[in-house]
Amino acid sequence: MRTALRQPTALFAVVVVTVVVVVAIAAPLIAPYAPEAKDFTAPLSGPTAAHPLGTDDLGGDLLSQLIHAARTALLVAVGSVVVAMLIGVPLGLVLGYRGGWYDRIGSRGLDIADALPGLMIGFVVIAILGQGMAVLILAIGLVFCMNFARLTRAITLTERNKGYVESARVSGLNAPRILFSQVLPNLAGPLVVQAAVFLGSAIKVEAALSFLGLGLGDEQPSWGGMLGFATQHTADHPEMALAPGIAICVTVLAFSLLGDTINDTLSGSRMRRTKILGRVLLDGDGARSGSADAALPPASAGTDDGPVGPDTGSVEDSAGEPVLAVRHADIVADRPDGGVVRLVHDASLTVRRGEILGLLGESGSGKSMLAKAILGLLPAGVRLAGGAITLNGTELTDRSPAQLAALRGTGMGVVFQNPQANLSPVHTVGRQLTDVVRAHDATISKEAARSRAADLLDLVGVDDPERRLDQYPYQFSGGMAQRVAIAVALVGEPDLLILDEATSALDVTTQAQVLDLVLDLRDRLGMAVVNITHDLGVAAETCDRVTVLLRGEVVETGDVHTVFDHPRHEYTARLIAAHPGVDDDAPGLGTHDQRKVEHA
Amino acid sequence: MNATTTSPLLEVRDLCVDYDVGGALAWRRRALRVVRGISFTIAPGETYGLVGESGSGKSTTGRAILRLADVSAGTITFAGSDIVGLGRTAPLSYRGAVQAVYQDPVGSLNPRHRVGQAVTDALARHGVTDRTERRRRAAAAFEQVGLGTEHLTRLPSELSGGQLQRVAIARALVLSPRLVVCDEAVSALDLSTQAQILDLLRDRQAETGVSYLFITHDLGVVRHIAHQVGVLRAGELVEQGTTSRVLDAPSHEYTKKLLAASLSPHPAGRESRRAARIAARGGVAA
Amino acid sequence: MGKLIAYRLLFAVPQLLVIAVVVFSLTYLVPGSPAAAMLGAAATPESIAQVEAQMGLDRPAPERFAEWIGGLLTGDLGTSFRSGVPVAELLARHVPATLSVVAGGMLVALVLGVGAGVWTGTRPGTPGDRVVTGGTVLGLAVPEFWLGLLLTTLFAVQLGWVPIVAWTPLTDDPLGWARGIALPSITLGVTGGAMIARQTRAAVVASLAAPYTDTLTAAGVPRATIVARYGVKNALVPVLASAGVTLAILIGVSFVVEKVFSLPGLGSIMLSSVIAQDFPVVQGVVMVTAVLVIAVNLVLDICYGLINPQARPQ
Repeated sequence: MRTALRQPTALFAVVVVTVVVVVAIAAPLIAPYAPEAKDFTAPLSGPTAAHPLGTDDLGGDLLSQLIHAARTALLVAVGSVVVAMLIGVPLGLVLGYRGGWYDRIGSRGLDIADALPGLMIGFVVIAILGQGMAVLILAIGLVFCMNFARLTRAITLTERNKGYVESARVSGLNAPRILFSQVLPNLAGPLVVQAAVFLGSAIKVEAALSFLGLGLGDEQPSWGGMLGFATQHTADHPEMALAPGIAICVTVLAFSLLGDTINDTLSGSRMRRTKILGRVLLDGDGARSGSADAALPPASAGTDDGPVGPDTGSVEDSAGEPVLAVRHADIVADRPDGGVVRLVHDASLTVRRGEILGLLGESGSGKSMLAKAILGLLPAGVRLAGGAITLNGTELTDRSPAQLAALRGTGMGVVFQNPQANLSPVHTVGRQLTDVVRAHDATISKEAARSRAADLLDLVGVDDPERRLDQYPYQFSGGMAQRVAIAVALVGEPDLLILDEATSALDVTTQAQVLDLVLDLRDRLGMAVVNITHDLGVAAETCDRVTVLLRGEVVETGDVHTVFDHPRHEYTARLIAAHPGVDDDAPGLGTHDQRKVEHA
Repeated sequence: MNATTTSPLLEVRDLCVDYDVGGALAWRRRALRVVRGISFTIAPGETYGLVGESGSGKSTTGRAILRLADVSAGTITFAGSDIVGLGRTAPLSYRGAVQAVYQDPVGSLNPRHRVGQAVTDALARHGVTDRTERRRRAAAAFEQVGLGTEHLTRLPSELSGGQLQRVAIARALVLSPRLVVCDEAVSALDLSTQAQILDLLRDRQAETGVSYLFITHDLGVVRHIAHQVGVLRAGELVEQGTTSRVLDAPSHEYTKKLLAASLSPHPAGRESRRAARIAARGGVAA
Repeated sequence: MGKLIAYRLLFAVPQLLVIAVVVFSLTYLVPGSPAAAMLGAAATPESIAQVEAQMGLDRPAPERFAEWIGGLLTGDLGTSFRSGVPVAELLARHVPATLSVVAGGMLVALVLGVGAGVWTGTRPGTPGDRVVTGGTVLGLAVPEFWLGLLLTTLFAVQLGWVPIVAWTPLTDDPLGWARGIALPSITLGVTGGAMIARQTRAAVVASLAAPYTDTLTAAGVPRATIVARYGVKNALVPVLASAGVTLAILIGVSFVVEKVFSLPGLGSIMLSSVIAQDFPVVQGVVMVTAVLVIAVNLVLDICYGLINPQARPQ
C-alpha cells in the first residue's frame, strides 16, 4: 500500500476519500450555517462573502448544503453497498458452489435482470415503497446486488474447480465450512475492490434519483437535489451547477481510483510473490528431502571439468554457414526500481540448414526468452542487453522494427505450445493462411492464395484441405491445429523454424505424429529447426544436436548421442538419470541407486 | 495377479460414469458416457497405474472413487463395503481412508492459507480436537515428506512446485489413508523434481502399506511406480495386467500404439523407431 | 445462423414472461391498496372499494394476470390511474424521444469507445494511452445529468447553437430532430463510450499479446494488418458480449438525462407515475423497456454469432 501511494492517482484517491469522510462526519462543525437556515434577505444571491457559493431561492446557504450533502451521499452509498453485498454475495456463493440446476436457473435469472436498466429497478422500488432514506438505500442496493452476485458466482465457480477445494471435500470438510473457510477468503480481495467502485457508483445513482426528486425530501440536502435546483437557473445563475457537480465527480472518481489502487496493491503483492516463486524455481526445488535434493553446482561449474565449452560456433560450424547464430546473448528484465533481473546470460548456439537443434531446459531456464529474443518478440520490459544474433549472416540486433519485420516470415517461423492459442479463434483457418500468403506476395490473386493455402495444409498432412480451409480453429483437434500452425509458419518458406514446446500439450500418439511431421518437413525442405523443450524424449527422438540451458546459462552443447551417452555437465547427467524411463526396473527394487548420477 | 491371492482393498466392477453435455438449453442436454463399464482391483500396498490419453476417462474414474463424480452404473467396493450406495455425503471414515493428490501443485492449496493449515484442517475434521496435538502431527507429516517445520507457516506462493506437491502429499497421508488417488500427481513438475516425488511416494508406501491409484498419461512414470497397469481408451479398459507384462508384452493394438508413440529418453535406435511408426501408419511419413 | 436466431427468440419468450410476472406482481407488493393511494386522504372504505371494483382489483390474481397478458399481446396495457389515458397511447407518444436519444447515444458510444479502445490498446503504457485512459476513468465518474447540464448551459443557453427545448419528431423535421438529440446523444455517448473503451482496450491488449499474434508476426504478416484484422475482430467478441448491458444502462441513464433536455421521453412519464404510484404506466414503461433491450440483445447476439464461430449452435 505504501508503494501504491507513490502513484499520484492513488494518493489523490486516498486524500479525497478521507476528506469526504471527514467532511461528512464533521459537517455541523464545518458548515457556516445549518442546512435548513434561511437568509431571507439574500435569495439567489450568487457568490458573496457571506455565501461563497451563493444561496437558493429562499436564501439557504449553498456551501452549507453542499457540506451536509456529503453526509447524505456517504450514508446512502455505504448503506446501499452493504445491502447489495448482503443480498448478492450469498446468492452468488450458492449459485457458484452448488452449480447444476441451481446455477442454470439462477444464471438465467441474472440474465433476465440484465434486460432492465438498474435505475429502473430503483424507480420501481420507490414507486412501491414511497420515498425515504431506508427506501433509497434499498432501491440502490437492489440496483447493484446483481453485480455482486455475478462476481461472487464467477469467482466461486473458478475456485470450486481448483484442487484445494476438491482436496477439502476429499478430507471430508462440509459445504458451509468449505465456502466460508476456503472460498470466501479468496473472494475478499475482489469484493473489496468491487465495493469501493460501487460506493462511487452508488453516489452517482443517489445523485441521479435526488436530481429527479425521487431521493430524500427537500429538507435533506443532497448534491443531486442541488443540481436539480440548478437546472431551473441555467440562464441566470449557471455557476450554481458547478460546485455540486464537481463534488460528485471528484468523489466518484476518488472511489473508483481507490478500487483500482486496492486492486493494484492486491495483484502487486501477488506479482511480488510470483517473483519470489520464480526465484525459488530458478534455484531449484529447495525441499529438504535429503536423498536426491543435493544442491546443484552453479551453472558454470561444468567448465571446471574440462572443455564443456559453450558453442561459440567457430570450430563445429566448419561443415557449413549456420542459418542462425546466437553469440553471447544476455537477456535482462528491467525492474521498476531501476535494477535488472538476468534471465539469460552469455548464451550461444548455432543451427545449420537441415539440422534440428534441441534447446533443453526446465521451467525458468530462460529457453523461451531466448526464442523470443531470436524472433525479436521480447515482451515489454525485457531486452537483449548484449551479444549478437545473426540469421543467414545478417545481424538481427540493432534492427528497427520495420527492418525486423521484413526479415521475419521469409526468415523465420514459430509455433508455440497451446494449439488453440496459436491461431486466431475468430478467423477461419483459410483466412489466416491466405493473410500470410498475401503478406508475402501482395499481387497474388484470391484464388491463387487460397490454392496455395490448400497446398500448405496438404503439405502438413491435413486431410481434405479444401473443406478444412473454411473451418475455424476450434473445429480442429490439438494435433491438427498444431499442423495448421506449422503451415502458417511455413508460408514464407523460412530458413528457420522455431518450435517452442510445440508438442508438449499434445497426447503421446499425437505428439509422435507431429514430431514425425517436423522430421519429414526438415528432410523435404531442408530448413533449420530449433526445438525448445523440457522433455528429454522429444530431444532424444528428434534432435541432431542438443543445447542444455540451466538457469539462463548454456551448460552443455553437443551431438545428441554424445550428450545422452556422455553428458559432460553434472546437471545434464542428473536430468538423464532422473527420467522415469522405459529402462527402469519394476518398482520397489531399490532403483534409488540407479537414480544416482552414473555418467558424471 | 496379486489381486487373486489377497483380498482386494478396492474393487471396481463395471463402472460407468456419465457427464451432462449439450447446449445451454436444458432440454437439449444429454448424458455422455465417459467411463464405460470398467473393472479392476487394487490390493493393499499395491500401486495401480491407470494410463490413457486426454479424454479417456481416467480422471473421471478417480473422481468416482473419491465420490466427487456420480456413478451411473456398476459398483465400487472399498475394504469389502459398497461405497456407491452411501447416499449424498460420504461417511467421514471413508473420507479419511481415501485421499487424493492432484496435478496442479499451486491450485491444490488455498492461496490464502498457510500451508500447514491444509494439514491441521483435515486433522480437525477427523476428530483431533487438541490444537497442539494437531500441530505436532502436522509437523511430523511434514517431516515425513521431507519438509521442515519452518514450512508449516509459509504461504503457497512462497514454496516451489515440488515443495507444494510435498505439502499435498503430507495432507493426503496425515490421516493414514489406505488408498491415495494420485491424479497426474507429477505431470506438472520438472523432471528432476518428478523423480524425487515418485521416490517419496514409494518410500511412504513401503513404510505404511498404503495403496495408490496412479492416474497418468506418462508410460515412463507408470513403469517407475505401478505394480499393475490398466490402459484406458475412450472410457474402456483395453488391457490390464502386471506392469512388466503390459508394457513389455502388450497384447492390445492400442497399447502397442501408445508404447510406439511414447518417446524414448535416449536417442539410440531412433531411426528404426521412426520407421516403425511410419510403417504402422501405412507408410505415411507423418 | 437461422438456428441461432431461433434459439434466441425461443429464449426471449420465457425471459419476457418472467419479467411480465414480476412486473404484474408489483402492484401486490404495495403496502395498502393502489386505490387508496389514488384517492389520497379523502378516501373512505366505501369509495376505495368502489374504485377497486372499477379497476378490477377485487378479482383473483390469476384471472387478472391472464387478462393483463392477453391485453399485452393485443397492445392493451390498461389505462393510467391518474389521467385515464390508455397506457399504450402514452407509451406511443413517449417512446420516439427515448429511442432517438438512446440510438444516438449508442452510436456515439460505439464510435468513441471502439476508437479510443483500439487506439489505446495498440499502444499500452504510452503517454497517449495514459491520457485517453485517464479520460475514460473521468468519463465514467461524471454524472451524466451534470454533463448534460453543462452542455446545455454552454451550447444552448450561452452560445445558442442548439435550441433549449429541443425535441422535434423525426417525421416533422429531420434536421431539427438531429439538432435536438445531438447534445443528449453526446451526453449518453460519453458514459457508454467510456465503458466500451475500457473493455475494448483490455481486449485489444489481450489479443495483441496472444500467441497467434506472435505466430503471425513471425510468419511475416505486417503489424498494421494484424491490428486491423486480428486485434480488432478478436477484441469485438467481449465488447459485443457486453454491449447489451451497456445499452440497458444507457436507457436507464436516458431517463435522467431527458429531464435536463426537457425531452418528452419515457423518463418523464415514468417519473410522474412513480411519484403518483400510477402502476399501469410504471408496468407499461418497464415492459416496453424490457422488450426494447431484449430485441436489441437479439440483434447483438446475432452479430456476436457472426463474429464468434463458437457461439453458433452446431
